[in-house]
Amino acid sequence: MNTNMKILIAEDDMTSRAMLQAVLAKWGYDVSAASDGEQAWAALQEPTPPGLAVLDWEMPGLDGAELCRRLRAQERKEPLYLILLTSRGAPEDIVRGLEAGADDYIAKPYDNAELKARVDVGRRMLMLQNEMREREKLQGVLEMAGAVCHELNQPLQIVSGFSEMLLLDADAGDKNSETLKTIKEGIDRIGELTRRIMKITRYQAKPYLKGRIVDIHQASE
Amino acid sequence: MSEKRILVVDDEKLILDLYSQVFSGAGYEVTTAESAEEALEIFRKEQFWVLFLDLNLPGMNGVDLCRQIRKQHPMAIPYAVTGYASLFELSDCREAGFEDYFTKPASLSDLLEAAEYAFKKLARWRKR
Repeated sequence: MNTNMKILIAEDDMTSRAMLQAVLAKWGYDVSAASDGEQAWAALQEPTPPGLAVLDWEMPGLDGAELCRRLRAQERKEPLYLILLTSRGAPEDIVRGLEAGADDYIAKPYDNAELKARVDVGRRMLMLQNEMREREKLQGVLEMAGAVCHELNQPLQIVSGFSEMLLLDADAGDKNSETLKTIKEGIDRIGELTRRIMKITRYQAKPYLKGRIVDIHQASE
Repeated sequence: MSEKRILVVDDEKLILDLYSQVFSGAGYEVTTAESAEEALEIFRKEQFWVLFLDLNLPGMNGVDLCRQIRKQHPMAIPYAVTGYASLFELSDCREAGFEDYFTKPASLSDLLEAAEYAFKKLARWRKR
């Protein structure tokens, strides 16, 4: 589960950075490292940035707390979980760190079990946030689909109804009647589709050309 | 009541045209209304036994319209025709007094069959 999760470490001390990187990689995370705040900021502006960052508070230039503040001021597409790492362990420091926008706080010296537990909490929080976002997205898409179907069903009723009427009047075997029948069959298929789309309750996609599209038949079963 | 009259309510004029032509063609006398309020106004003056109501109407919706009509005239047989099935549950429609429920695009033969069934039922009730 955590094999592919990206974590960023920002730590100016080379030894601490190497140790952190090694232990997180051992736990299966995809770890990248920055040696100062500016580098960390840049790494978190990438198109697919890490979802979790462990930031040292004391760094020259842009420090961990300021980095938290700037990141929180941003409109971000994906959720970002921030853990501040610091030798400042006084309660007022913890408060300041959390107020700067950190989600959690680890006081140095820490042991690896604590680090692992806190990173795991972060991973759980991110998973929950992502699930919620997915659900909201799906809800939005389904509401949109329902509204579109409703709007389509009105004119569809008009076309389908009048063609059914013409068909009743037409002489069987007549060339126009055959054409009309084909038109009616096409309309009926659209009607069947809007019925199915309104029944979609879950996300089920299938590959389509280079991307993916919702599998209307599977998703409306 | 031997006169086979139907009231059709839909906010889309072309749909009213369609239903009027179909039911008239089958020998029924059709009156149309574009809103629940207009339908109630018509209903106050003359009674209808068989009705086809769109559910998603501007102002009062078709489900509440059905409740009002059944309250005033418990023997009426109203049918729901809706383009937005998921917005109104079938059970809510039955509870409001709808005889049956069709989703748009509905087939005309289904609607004609429903009308025929309703008038047969009324005739049977009358013979009691």
